[in-house]
Amino acid sequence: MSDARIPESNPFVEIATHLFLEDIATKVGVSGLNNYLVSLAKNLAGSMPKEEYGTWSQFLSALSTGQSILSTFEEVRPVTEHCMSTARSPFERGWREYAKRVGAFAPVHREVARYYNHKVRPAAVTSVHVVLHTFRDAAAARVRVGSDGVRYEPIASAWVDGEVQMPEEGKLEALLKRAGITRTRLGMLLRNHADVWLLESA
Amino acid sequence: MIDVALASLIEDMIEKAGPDGVVEFWQRVGDNLASRMGKEAYLGWTSFNVAVRESRTAFSIEGEVTPLTDMAITDVDGDVVGYLYAMRQCCYNPTIFRTRFAVGRMSAADRTVTDEYNENIHNIAVCNFCVFHERFREEIAKNIAVSGNALACFLLATRGWSGETKISSKNVAQVNINEEHVRALLRNYECVYALVMRGARIKGER
Repeated sequence: MSDARIPESNPFVEIATHLFLEDIATKVGVSGLNNYLVSLAKNLAGSMPKEEYGTWSQFLSALSTGQSILSTFEEVRPVTEHCMSTARSPFERGWREYAKRVGAFAPVHREVARYYNHKVRPAAVTSVHVVLHTFRDAAAARVRVGSDGVRYEPIASAWVDGEVQMPEEGKLEALLKRAGITRTRLGMLLRNHADVWLLESA
Repeated sequence: MIDVALASLIEDMIEKAGPDGVVEFWQRVGDNLASRMGKEAYLGWTSFNVAVRESRTAFSIEGEVTPLTDMAITDVDGDVVGYLYAMRQCCYNPTIFRTRFAVGRMSAADRTVTDEYNENIHNIAVCNFCVFHERFREEIAKNIAVSGNALACFLLATRGWSGETKISSKNVAQVNINEEHVRALLRNYECVYALVMRGARIKGER
């Protein structure tokens, strides 16, 4: 986190939240859990202040210094004007602690990701990606640069275990073109980064 | 970020199940997590306390726990049957500050769940996470044996991020610790609990 005022979370709270979500899933099923995750991410973004910037470069500067809503929980590194990369997943510590103290992640976390990939967009490896993509989407909608809004699109997500999720070939090529990177560059980024995503004027 | 989002989830849950429903939910989550942590056995209190210091016990999932080995709990025969343990920082405190910096202020849902628990279950919670936390500790204590005896956990005192303190008179009496000693511990610690051998006849138990 680039802003030292924001302390790291205690991973125990994240583990408890994962268990909370697992318990919800036993009652409402995979589709119900997906709805909960989408709703909580939207509510979180909705509760955060709106932002406005004069130019795109001011917005990029705020992103890379941790001053934007989109870089509150993760360190964002712009690769081009529109292509962003995230060095580490904000959920990595919680996942590692869960694996160490509790054991393997409950299957429902992957099941809800598959549901999201099928119903919403093919961008999730596990449940936390549903939160992450929905949050970024809703957070981007709260930003204005000049007179324009900002639109978010995920390009690729690499989970802690190395599994990568990205859209089908045709859609990926179009996204890479808008982001201003090549397929080779994407591969290079995924070697060292958790996520690669696109931000553009809406 | 999921820790900050948790408050939104709890707001939603209060709308659907009420504060009492959220308390039940949190307690069930405490049971579930404890049941997945497995059993542990230690030869005696020394080996258990070393394991706590080295973060090897199920209790270590919460963060850094200090065994207060100068505060032993003895039974009617004068044998040590337990100790006090303390955390310098409440697990939920970083989340409260993260919420402050990310969102602006903590959701009222946190207080609603805390009050529900304090009024109807045990007047010891300083945040909604205490609801889950107390049950979790009680359940994992059952799965830990010291000298062949399963443990019981008693949450004694808590200090919230705003400085609010709570001391459980009921539990303090149960382990025969002077309330003023516990109050003094809250200067340095945010969460104090006792682990004692289940069924021990504690000296001076009130």
